[in-house]
Amino acid sequence: MSLRKSLLALTWIPVVYTFTNHVYQPYQIRGSSMSPTFNPGTDSTTKDIVLVSKLKVKETSFTRGDVIMFRSPENPEKILTKRVVGLQGDRVRPKSPYPKAQTVVPRNHLWVEGDNAFHSIDSNNFGPVSQGLVVGKVVTILWPLSRFGKDILGGRDARELDPKDMLVKLIGEI
Amino acid sequence: MRYPDSVRFVVSTLSWTLRAGCVAHLVHEYIYEFTETRGESMLPTLQSHYDYVHALKRYRLGRELDIGDCVVAVKPSDPSHRVCKRISGMPGDVILIDPSSSSELTNLPTEVILHDGFNKYIRVPDGHVWCTGDNLCHSLDSRSYSVLPMGLITGKIVAANSMNRGVTTGWGFRWIQNSFVDESDD
Repeated sequence: MSLRKSLLALTWIPVVYTFTNHVYQPYQIRGSSMSPTFNPGTDSTTKDIVLVSKLKVKETSFTRGDVIMFRSPENPEKILTKRVVGLQGDRVRPKSPYPKAQTVVPRNHLWVEGDNAFHSIDSNNFGPVSQGLVVGKVVTILWPLSRFGKDILGGRDARELDPKDMLVKLIGEI
Repeated sequence: MRYPDSVRFVVSTLSWTLRAGCVAHLVHEYIYEFTETRGESMLPTLQSHYDYVHALKRYRLGRELDIGDCVVAVKPSDPSHRVCKRISGMPGDVILIDPSSSSELTNLPTEVILHDGFNKYIRVPDGHVWCTGDNLCHSLDSRSYSVLPMGLITGKIVAANSMNRGVTTGWGFRWIQNSFVDESDD
């Protein structure tokens, strides 16, 4: 009877696998390219675990500031985590080592950069990324618990000022 | 608490359907796919209509692929479309992008000079391939969208059927082989 039960439990593995492939899956973040959003600090060796949503990744449902996971164009076995900086049609100003001073993001491509610009291999190295390579969108931090659910949207470059903040800043300047 | 038999039957049927559907989906995604292809770009290897291809998914993400293999890939400029092309350049290869853009047969004399097709080369970067259709005159491929990231490759085409052929020919079944053969093999 227990053998039968465990075999029946095994039949749910494809369902779980399909769920993690197309709905939600937790991922561990390696490296410091997205610091301070993920893996902040140099003294601790803890690696953040994030929840990645895989719904609607094939549609053009990205906005500037989203943190996405995609297969590296340079090595398809590697999955990178970066922030969307430019959408299709946007004119961006790449940083070194990109050869051009200005470039336009092609159709259905994304310009992605790491939050830690000094330690990140991103679109400045390999150019715009096809949306077909996107695996999912990071929704929230799951681990460590101290930063569970912390706001991850709006990196340094992508953050748009709140109109109220802008007004305060303007008044301050006057 | 015990539910009525009718409810138990419905729930059990739905649950087995879900599990079987997921198995079929995973087979479709990771092992084997039989799918329709359309378009003139792969003539004469594949017809423009009625052709179905057998794709093996263990070659997805460009694993173990070689120059000359036929692949199914997501279109880089439009992820909702898929393309079927032949790999004609591997990472590190130097490719003459499109000499036909400077052909005197199809271009004006000014265009021949302007396009400079015989002098434009590209080195295929790591993790990318150069792919072209077999029907070079009517194919949207790497010559227009440049190198294709291997991450977009979903499988390798190993055989094809033409559904407009009769049952007697096995619906036109044929293997699709690597057409890039070494000279020494002849």
